[in-house]
Amino acid sequence: MKSDVLIIGGGIQGSATAYYLARHGVSVVVLEKDYVARHASGVNAGGVRLLGRDLAEVPLSKASMQMWQTLDEELGHETGFRAQSIVNIASDEKDMQALRSRQEIMRAEGHDHERIIDQSELRDLLPHVSPECVGGVTSSLDGYAIPYKATVAFRRAAERLGAVFCEGEELVGLRRVGETWLGQGRHQRFEADTVVNCAGAWADQIALMIGDNVPLSHAAPMLMITARMPHFAKPVVGAVSRQLSFKQFENGTVLIGGGAKGFADRARNATRLDYKKLAAAARTTAEFFPIMRSAAINRMWAGLEAYMPDNLPVIGPAVNADRAFHAFGFSAHGFQMGPIVGQTMADLVLKGQSRYALGAFRVDRFDRKVL
Amino acid sequence: MQSFDCAIIGTGPAGMSAALRLSELGATVAVLDRAPSPGGQIYRAVAQSPLATPDKLGADYLSGADLVSAFSKSNVAWMPGADVWHLGDDGRIFYSQDNRTQELQCRQMLICPGAMERPMPIPGWTLPGVMTAGSAQVMLKSDAMAISDAIFAGSGPLLYLIVAQYLRLGIPIAGVVDTTPRQNYVAALPMLASALRQVGMLFKGLGLLREIQKSKVPFYRFATDLEVVGTDHAQGLRFQQDGASYELSGDAVLLHHGVVPNLNLARSIGLDHVFEPDQLAWRVKTSPFGQTSCPHIWVAGDGAGIVGANGAKHAGELAALGIGCELGLLDDVGRDQLAEAPRKASAGQSGFRRFIDRLYQPAPDLMLPTRDDTIVCRCEEQSLWDLRQGFQSGARDPNALKSLTRCGMGPCQGRQCGHIVSGLLAKWREEPVADVGYYRLRSPLRLLTLEELARLQDGESAR
Amino acid sequence: MFTSLRGLSGDLVEITVNGAPLQVVAGQSVWSAMALNGFTVTRKAAVSGQDRSAYCAMGVCFECLVEIDGLPNQQACLRRVSAGMVINTQHITEASEVYHAEL
Ligand SMILES: Cc1cc2nc3c(=O)[nH]c(=O)nc-3n(C[C@H](O)[C@H](O)[C@H](O)COP(=O)(O)OP(=O)(O)OC[C@H]3O[C@@H](n4cnc5c(N)ncnc54)[C@H](O)[C@@H]3O)c2cc1C
Ligand SMILES: Cc1cc2nc3c(=O)[nH]c(=O)nc-3n(C[C@H](O)[C@H](O)[C@H](O)COP(=O)(O)OP(=O)(O)OC[C@H]3O[C@@H](n4cnc5c(N)ncnc54)[C@H](O)[C@@H]3O)c2cc1C
Ligand code: FES
Repeated sequence: MKSDVLIIGGGIQGSATAYYLARHGVSVVVLEKDYVARHASGVNAGGVRLLGRDLAEVPLSKASMQMWQTLDEELGHETGFRAQSIVNIASDEKDMQALRSRQEIMRAEGHDHERIIDQSELRDLLPHVSPECVGGVTSSLDGYAIPYKATVAFRRAAERLGAVFCEGEELVGLRRVGETWLGQGRHQRFEADTVVNCAGAWADQIALMIGDNVPLSHAAPMLMITARMPHFAKPVVGAVSRQLSFKQFENGTVLIGGGAKGFADRARNATRLDYKKLAAAARTTAEFFPIMRSAAINRMWAGLEAYMPDNLPVIGPAVNADRAFHAFGFSAHGFQMGPIVGQTMADLVLKGQSRYALGAFRVDRFDRKVL
Repeated sequence: MQSFDCAIIGTGPAGMSAALRLSELGATVAVLDRAPSPGGQIYRAVAQSPLATPDKLGADYLSGADLVSAFSKSNVAWMPGADVWHLGDDGRIFYSQDNRTQELQCRQMLICPGAMERPMPIPGWTLPGVMTAGSAQVMLKSDAMAISDAIFAGSGPLLYLIVAQYLRLGIPIAGVVDTTPRQNYVAALPMLASALRQVGMLFKGLGLLREIQKSKVPFYRFATDLEVVGTDHAQGLRFQQDGASYELSGDAVLLHHGVVPNLNLARSIGLDHVFEPDQLAWRVKTSPFGQTSCPHIWVAGDGAGIVGANGAKHAGELAALGIGCELGLLDDVGRDQLAEAPRKASAGQSGFRRFIDRLYQPAPDLMLPTRDDTIVCRCEEQSLWDLRQGFQSGARDPNALKSLTRCGMGPCQGRQCGHIVSGLLAKWREEPVADVGYYRLRSPLRLLTLEELARLQDGESAR
Repeated sequence: MFTSLRGLSGDLVEITVNGAPLQVVAGQSVWSAMALNGFTVTRKAAVSGQDRSAYCAMGVCFECLVEIDGLPNQQACLRRVSAGMVINTQHITEASEVYHAEL
């Protein structure tokens, strides 16, 4: 199968990249070894969060946040996005101090989307929060979307524009001959001028085929979801210094995260849960929100996610090959970045550059001279 | 944390006979069941029946008392009221007793979770007043509770047994609507010869049917197009018979068309499964001894593919021998010697089983809904129409369909819709069910309160 | 119509179902105690809000979810009654709100 661009990975990054490329009339083939949104992009917590981002990511994340607000219309499919705002709770004065220092830095950089709130505003936004909590920080454009729906929305919009998605097709070999990339799938052969590596937790393997070595690791962050509860929290909830994270969806179910990691078995496409850590997450949740004690947990799971040592993604061209690009290593916060990453990759493929500073995301940023 | 040579989940005939055999062999055995007393489905509460006349349930029921009594006298660690919510492939088990989670560990694990009734997604099956026929029997056995003037509808030996039990107890019945398709009698005929080797079982079945027919309870055969009538509550059952339309009125409709293995425990560990074409159901892939794709995990009884009460007992014994061998309590030769009797006994029954499976194979349009507004997922209220929409927008895999529509995401975690969804996708994709697959399941195996989970800490869970 | 064929009636305990005080047999299932006293609606369906009632009586359908002693999502067919138990039909649907902070 021949195309202008071959994308490896049918997660949100691959699907969004396919969409923005197809919008420019480029022919695109996406290879997905399982099915689209099978991994991180379909099973994540759905947090569309700009709050608390690493400074290097803020410009991209901000742009992405703007895109989310109108993404349903843009794609013609529902992503489940709701701008419900997000609140990170400060448990004590020390947390408040940390918030104030961060705010100074953010202001100096010209970012004003994060707003510190006091205890009474915190209680207004979250009436069920434990009375000990002293305040927090909020960002009003933030919210959540339904991961599987959002990823599939990109896929369907891309398909409408002619992109081809091959599910159940794993890329097992890739080499460049002359001006052409030759890809070997389990079932078919592929040819393209350009390849884009969006292979998530497996992206280091694809990078290797391209010629780039990268210190990528993978892990299995865990989530729990409850049966429906009466609505008690509109904003997405996090905490400044504790592993607290949950959101109540419109349908009443509450998704609890917090960053605890299970056991990742990437070769078998499998994850195992660490119940003691989930219990700790349950304790933290109940401590901040006593109303959650009677919540009924319906399902627990984990997804395979790619991590870079500095928790920043790789976004940009390959260093050891022409016409190859990377977008991976989102370190458990890449869902929100999907729209802007798609657009950025399209810019890189089509124009060779992006209007954003991508220096912090270079694939070779960990290369050093070793004696 | 307590640890055991073997932990057994389920105290039906499979679990109890395995436990007895393993403790005879000298293994330390823990046995867990969420029920307050041992017995499983068939022998539920046999040792302390709340009924004044439990003998009316039949000799098969009473015969379980011996097994239950032997089990109760054995030295296994019996944990009643233990609702297992997590089984780990590392041999760890979390179970809930009085809303408190306890933990144990085992070298070998034997899962005997039994069967559940095959969902029957007909229009109106979510209305109050509609229950399964099996539920009527469960309520009788455990709480001496009956439903008078119910309409029984469906097919299969268990349906006839329950109707007969109701009749013997003098509980009035509004009617029996039999959905066994006419063509099944033809299709099952070639298997009759081998079924005749179990002539006793055959007569037992015929006896039940005769009991029902003698009773004067209205009995309709070859019924199709079933539909529960009612808006807020069941008011009756509508159906077709040979082109004519009938409507029985009654505020209780009890459905049943066979049983399928209880999948969620084995699925949650990720054990390999196969789709059994004779039984039109998924079952765990096992060796003849019940060993699964995870070598220290075993499955026996109806939970590993429907074999019936006696079959379950033999399967439990075989699994115990396999496990005993694995634990070094007996060698291959000893195992095979002891295995001969249960093996022969279960082989003897397989002909009869095949005949019954074919004769009472559910009608296709009762297994898969046909009307757009029929609910498939009871928890999330997803209809046939909703699912077709999901499929048409690209969700070809059961898990993808679930992510898109929420079908299977509710509290029952797919127990009711799982088989239906695999079947529907197979039909739409024009591929075998085996290629379509099933939901990926995870712990907890039942709703778990956050507070209970929060109390799970190192050291604290072991009382 | 649910009827009881219980031989010996056993010890009685008092429970409350939807506000009504009831004398029931200790140890019987919550569902049977409800049904025998005419309380057959266990929960409201989560999306449509329609009445639902126990379906399987053996723990596999989760239709019988009720609120027991303030704790929602309890399976009435599996839980057993004990003295003083307070049982309510479960009313949680997608539209349910918690109005007051119960702190
Ligand atoms: C539990 C969890 C919670 C999270 N919560 C949030 C959150 O709240 N907010 C947020 O912004 N982010 C969150 N994230 C992170 C976010 O989900 C990811 O960063 C993002 O989805 C990554 O998208 P991706 O397309 O790079 O990767 P993926 O979705 O993993 O897609 C990569 C795809 O590539 C395919 N692939 C790999 N190798 C090959 C090959 N050789 N051939 C063909 N296909 C291949 C894989 O099968 C996979 O489907 C969370 C992640 C997890 C796991
Ligand atoms: C409703 C119903 C009624 C039946 N009645 C009859 C009958 O009258 N006569 C007959 O011949 N056959 C009957 N059967 C068929 C029955 O499956 C077999 O006869 C036989 O009981 C199977 O034995 P088993 O040991 O495989 O499982 P079962 O007897 O079903 O035992 C399984 C046990 O596992 C327990 N269990 C399951 N999951 C968990 C968990 N997560 N935690 C703790 N415990 C768990 C259950 O409580 C149960 O006691 C019935 C089946 C059903 C579904
Ligand atoms: S009635 Fe089905 S779980 Fe209780």
